[in-house]
Amino acid sequence: MELNSIHSFLVHPGRNLEEPPDINGAVVNHAGRLFDMLKKVFDNAEAECPHDIAFSADESGQQQNECRNAILAYVKKTDMTHGRLLAKRLQSVTTNRSGLGLLFLMMGAEKGETKIVVSRFPADSGILAEEREKGLSVEFLERIFMKSATSYKAAVYTGKSHDHDFWKGKAGDKQINSAESYIASYWIREFLNSDFLTPGEAGTRRFASAVRDAMNRAGDTDVKDEIASLCRLLPGMKGKVVSAKNILSHFQISAKTQDRVKASFKPDRLFDERFRFMPDELTKFIAFKTVELDNGGLLTASTDAFDSVFLREVVDPAKALVKFSTEGTIIDQRLRKTKS
Amino acid sequence: MTALQTAYEERFKQMLQPLAQRLEAQLKDTFGKHKRIDRISVRPKSIERFVAKAAKQIDGEAKYNDPLNQIQDQIGARIVTFYKSDVEEIAAEVKKYFRHIESQLIVPESEKEFGYEGQHFILFIPRDIFDDAIREEESISFFELQIKTLFQHAWSEAEHDLGYKPSASLTNDQKRRLAFTAAQAWGADQIFDELHRQLDLPSSHAAIAQ
Repeated sequence: MELNSIHSFLVHPGRNLEEPPDINGAVVNHAGRLFDMLKKVFDNAEAECPHDIAFSADESGQQQNECRNAILAYVKKTDMTHGRLLAKRLQSVTTNRSGLGLLFLMMGAEKGETKIVVSRFPADSGILAEEREKGLSVEFLERIFMKSATSYKAAVYTGKSHDHDFWKGKAGDKQINSAESYIASYWIREFLNSDFLTPGEAGTRRFASAVRDAMNRAGDTDVKDEIASLCRLLPGMKGKVVSAKNILSHFQISAKTQDRVKASFKPDRLFDERFRFMPDELTKFIAFKTVELDNGGLLTASTDAFDSVFLREVVDPAKALVKFSTEGTIIDQRLRKTKS
Repeated sequence: MTALQTAYEERFKQMLQPLAQRLEAQLKDTFGKHKRIDRISVRPKSIERFVAKAAKQIDGEAKYNDPLNQIQDQIGARIVTFYKSDVEEIAAEVKKYFRHIESQLIVPESEKEFGYEGQHFILFIPRDIFDDAIREEESISFFELQIKTLFQHAWSEAEHDLGYKPSASLTNDQKRRLAFTAAQAWGADQIFDELHRQLDLPSSHAAIAQ
């Protein structure tokens, strides 16, 4: 798709400031090394933005979103005035921690479809070293905006109808050392007034369902064991922005088990989709009930199946004496050092 | 037959019907364990209703200039619950599992009126129900979900059947009778919900009473 226009704005932090600094802007020429770099950002935006996001409804539940309105206004009338509205919005959520940034608004169109890429490059400092005829000159520079492709935040939206599309898009953060939770709050929630397209509960439910299916289908105990161990570790992921793929990689789950879990994702690209992990959803799908008796007996089965697996009879109500019985073939037995 | 109708008929068969079936399965999987849901149903907007909606005008001008992309309720889902408090409970759950761009509790404008009531959502179609045959990129993005009590549902079905006759508009007396039935449905919902709280949730009833 052809890149038709680029506007750039220097955005100082302005959160909670009554009189935020002015925002200066410029039109970027369609030639030169800056254009070449931005063209790459524009062309690769979908691939570089892994987070599927959607604009949120307003507080009253209406189909209104301030950031989407600003983007639509810019799409309809692509000029400095409308671009500056987006820059002001970014300034109003930018703290000193985020610092000075250079906002680029890039827009293109093809076959009736419009694409807009919004990206923010953080300012950095550096040293300029210039070799001269009689020696070397060094100078400290501020307000350097890194060319590196690993240093910017971006969001991309495409649509045909300027009134009805552009509800969902993709966001990314290439800034080194930027935590996933940080992009979620600053870039996605506050600036873009959006959230992940798949809510945390839905994403966790999908993951839990896939893990449970993989466990139920697994013929070998290695896979079952590995999934059981994984489930014990997962509550530590509470609130983190994850995908099924990176959860399994994070806990170094074997390729065999990963493949079993991935096979339950339909369509399989959802294996890579980001969501906020909610452990409560996991326990709805994968929960084990364990009953311990005073004679040392320990009975464990999935919560759903426990009462059908173990038949419970009251032997002596006065002493609360009960008898459990079950019937099946032994598929595995082992010694463990601990109960868990 | 217009080009719009032809296009919608094609979409109806190729996309909306299978998506509606998959969505119904997903909604039943998500909410089916709730104790007091009477039914969960999903269906595509009929061709007649779509064409009629697409032709709507406001102040003499067409309301939609691109109806195939603008009309958001081409798939309509409904969850019918026993009691009013169930509607609130399910609505809170919907917000957990689906991303919405609209959430409206529809009630009559004046407290002196009785009429249509229901909790409406415009939700993104969940990504789980797409596949290679129906690709997300080529699909509609949204569906409408209505959550109503049994009485709200019964009233709105009968009212829609009686109130939108093409042959004649309703007289004032007929409108008044319809409003009366809405008031009765409203009253029945109030009393059933109170009884439900007293009998099924005695602790919450005691808390309310205090």
